[in-house]
Amino acid sequence: MEEPILLDALGAGGPYHSRVRRTITDLTGTPVAELSLVPRLFVQRTMAALRGARTLPPHDRASALARAGRLFATGTVAGLPAEEYQHIVSRVSGMPIAVVRSATAGIGRRTRDAYRITRHARPQGAVDDWRDPLTCDGHAVWTRRGDVFAVHAAGNHPGVHSLWLQALALGYRVAVRPSRREPFTPHRLITALRESGFGEDQVVLLPTDYAVADDIIRDADLAMVYGGQEVVSKYGNDVNVLPQGPGRSKILLTGEDWKPHLGTIVDSVSAFGGTACVNATAVLVEGDPAPVAEAVAERLSAIPSLPPEDDGAVLPLQPVADARAIEKYLLDHMDGATPVLGGDGVVDELGDGSAVLRPAVFLVDRPDAPQTGLELSFPCVWFAPWSRADGIEPLRNTLVLTAITSDDALIDRLVEEPSIRNVYLGDTPTYLMPPWVPHDAYLGEFLMRTKGVIRT
Amino acid sequence: MATEQILDCPLDQVPDGPEYIEAAMRWHFSPETGSPFWLERAKTLGFDPREDVRTLDDLRRFPNVANELRDVRVDDLIPRGYGADADVVGVYESGGTTGPPKRVVLLRDWMDRLAHRTELDLRARGYPEDGHWLYLGPTGPHILGEMVRRQAARRGGIRFTIDIDPRWVKRCIAENRCDEAERYAEHLIDQSAHILRSQDVRVLVTTPPLLTRLARRDALVDLINSKIAAISWGGASMDPDTRYLLRTEVFPGVKLYGTYGSTMILGGVPERVTAPDEDIVIFDTFSPYIMFSVVDRETGEAVRYGDRGQVVMHHVSKSFLLPNNLERDLATCVAPPPGQMGDSVAEVGPLPVFDDQPVIEGVY
Repeated sequence: MEEPILLDALGAGGPYHSRVRRTITDLTGTPVAELSLVPRLFVQRTMAALRGARTLPPHDRASALARAGRLFATGTVAGLPAEEYQHIVSRVSGMPIAVVRSATAGIGRRTRDAYRITRHARPQGAVDDWRDPLTCDGHAVWTRRGDVFAVHAAGNHPGVHSLWLQALALGYRVAVRPSRREPFTPHRLITALRESGFGEDQVVLLPTDYAVADDIIRDADLAMVYGGQEVVSKYGNDVNVLPQGPGRSKILLTGEDWKPHLGTIVDSVSAFGGTACVNATAVLVEGDPAPVAEAVAERLSAIPSLPPEDDGAVLPLQPVADARAIEKYLLDHMDGATPVLGGDGVVDELGDGSAVLRPAVFLVDRPDAPQTGLELSFPCVWFAPWSRADGIEPLRNTLVLTAITSDDALIDRLVEEPSIRNVYLGDTPTYLMPPWVPHDAYLGEFLMRTKGVIRT
Repeated sequence: MATEQILDCPLDQVPDGPEYIEAAMRWHFSPETGSPFWLERAKTLGFDPREDVRTLDDLRRFPNVANELRDVRVDDLIPRGYGADADVVGVYESGGTTGPPKRVVLLRDWMDRLAHRTELDLRARGYPEDGHWLYLGPTGPHILGEMVRRQAARRGGIRFTIDIDPRWVKRCIAENRCDEAERYAEHLIDQSAHILRSQDVRVLVTTPPLLTRLARRDALVDLINSKIAAISWGGASMDPDTRYLLRTEVFPGVKLYGTYGSTMILGGVPERVTAPDEDIVIFDTFSPYIMFSVVDRETGEAVRYGDRGQVVMHHVSKSFLLPNNLERDLATCVAPPPGQMGDSVAEVGPLPVFDDQPVIEGVY
């Protein structure tokens, strides 16, 4: 058997190989890595070191990020060539290899451009430096709200690690707690950042068990936490924590012939293996949703079950036991919905201990049915009828809403609704995330604020 | 030899194990000398300890009666053989983690025996011969604070302490009032800071969580490094990485020794002295008075040396008997040093708590 990969914690004093470790297994239960877990004492000392560190000048940050992006995407980092890293992530997370490859390239670009991306969030009225001549007459200077930024990362998709880079670009020192599902991506990214010019006291990886996780947030100035509804409920009132909760992305089709838009719907449901917060969870159709649901189900049912490292793989995999738990959860929560696809189960075992999660399509009888908010980490979509009398209430609390409609007055209301964070119009799939378009607002809006400077 | 002679063996001698256990059974289960609690309990044991219990293995035949100590009258725990004027030092209680606290009676003769042994242990570990002690651990009905007070006094020092009520902290956490627990803990650190600053303390006795919390404040780390010669930790487990960091980075010049004990054995035992580069904490016992068995969590059978299992504690003294008490700790079973009955234990930690089960709903 191959030696497991050793994923050390990356502390302010360098890599730390701990005595307490967690074994990371692939889909079949074979151990592939040992993740060092650090105790509370290590966390608090590391966070104190971040606080005491000095931030690199902006130009140095930008150029180090540019180098790190290239290294992450194509280089050999901590002994792992990019191809090997991608294979492991795919085998551990069950994410199709094509999705991992594209995520690798995407993280590379977002790292390279992180400094430039932050510029989109800066208010037009603000400058970066008090020395700017504009401050002589009084001006806004864009300043950090704190110095130390913490991230409780998720493991659903490597791309979650492309966002916090903006904090690093803006001069924060950053601590990342990786997910136990997939620590490889942040380990590789932080190693690449360190090899590219960021000091060990600028960006750290702190794998911890559950009990210590909150310490990282407590000792940071600001934090971003990925999780489910419970995370939103726990931190929703904390102005220093930005929860990244369920996306509950949706598509709205009004009065149009839906056939030309079928591809947009199918892609919105199944891109990234359906694992992202920007995947469509519900489709609301003006009129009868059944024909649309059936057409989508037909397209989704044609996707083959393949191991994740197969170039043609589209669907996500899980170890059989985890897949069965997800399936049970789904079937337990159908609650009167009419199955169109997957009603008798979604688990397709490959025989090696892993299982494909096959697509599921359901019909519910009203747009505010609770299932339309039921977001699962595979292609699973709920179709509901919608009429103008229902209004925009059933469309609230949505990360991305693709509205296929020609009703400008309705679009006005959607754009004005605060709980809909992105409105995409026409044949725009929900999963599009160009860097200049905010994701859940610009992260810079949370990290920075303007400060008045007048020089006399 | 007569029963009492064996049980009252001189403090500087170690009685023969099997002979000692037989004598203890005669003492605790004879109507003239046994406690009302055990004499009553003996009726439903299904065996006669005076006939059937001669070895450590035989002690495992006893049911675990620890839970009965939550409600029993403490008067009924004192062996009748002490007569009407048993020298009671105090009544002490378990932490109360798993329900109402369990109560034990500390009698003078046992305390003197344990204190004598602890004194030898402290000398062997090079604890400072003079100076004061700071005890930063549970007070009130908890036994350790009293033991430390007497240990410091015996060495001519004063035990400084502050009020610590661990049950309040547990309650705050159970009620999800983590902010209250946090405030309380910081209140404790604030108070200990006053003592550390103003008094000549040379030994610090505390718990791993409080030690970690002390280490959050640079000024206190400096004070401890300049004033404290030895730190004793106990009352909770210390993970090996925390120990490594404390020894190498936080308190590099301070002796750091663990204690593993329980109210239910009326005391604790110190960490084995090992070479400085040995990265392991082993606890030998104080047999035949305090003994451990490491057993399989599922079957209850003894595990082999090197394997992990759940810790069973036994206390057998003239003053008290509590055999076969299954603790909520996991440990690696370690071969005992020559002459010790029962297992030694290493890498002690709590039973795993499955609090991070994967959440299914949502993509994260």
